[in-house]
Amino acid sequence: MELKILYFGMIADATGCKEEVISLQPGCNTNQLEKILKTKYQTLQNLSFKIVVDQEIASSQSILKATNEIALLPPFSGG
Amino acid sequence: MKKRKTVFIEGPITPSFIANSIEKHQTKTTIGAHNIFLGQVRADEIQGKIVQAIDYSAYTEMAENKFHEIREKTFSNYDLTCMHIYHSLGTVKAGEICLFVFVSAPHRKVTFEALEFLVEEIKKEVPVFGKEIFEDQTHVWKVNK
Repeated sequence: MELKILYFGMIADATGCKEEVISLQPGCNTNQLEKILKTKYQTLQNLSFKIVVDQEIASSQSILKATNEIALLPPFSGG
Repeated sequence: MKKRKTVFIEGPITPSFIANSIEKHQTKTTIGAHNIFLGQVRADEIQGKIVQAIDYSAYTEMAENKFHEIREKTFSNYDLTCMHIYHSLGTVKAGEICLFVFVSAPHRKVTFEALEFLVEEIKKEVPVFGKEIFEDQTHVWKVNK
């Protein structure tokens, strides 16, 4: 399945893009996605971020679906 | 569902925008107390370089939903007459305003409590990201304390 992933702030600096589509095995969870992304982008390994699924902070075991909107969010710094 | 209020403003929030906002409340005569928080961009020194501006970006859809949730939570916790939140996107220079939070109520006490709650929730819950830009155009990413 194909999933759209959004990157923000320092995470977008590390990946060099603001969004991309990634192919994943069906049944993949957020933990597995994180491993795939950290392999693809070595620079992500030293950064702090949260994975958000459909705008909610995801647990590491959440099973991903093709309809989900995934985002990698670095620490917030509004205001 | 109620119409969502616009929170994001491109560029700095100007003093005249803030003055206009205050003026609009002069017809609401049940209000006896306003309280305002203004966030201003600091010219911090980081590793020998001075911050010239912050470039704000956001996960806009999620941020707008979070602002809405925070508004609803604040209205249910505190007896306010009205509440306004504005946050900048894009470039805001040092010394300019990037956050404007405005609460009003019949009496003062609740405005102090509600304003502190609101500003802390915004800092903690809303996915906004500040890129601190130096004079030589290099940058670091801001992290809220």
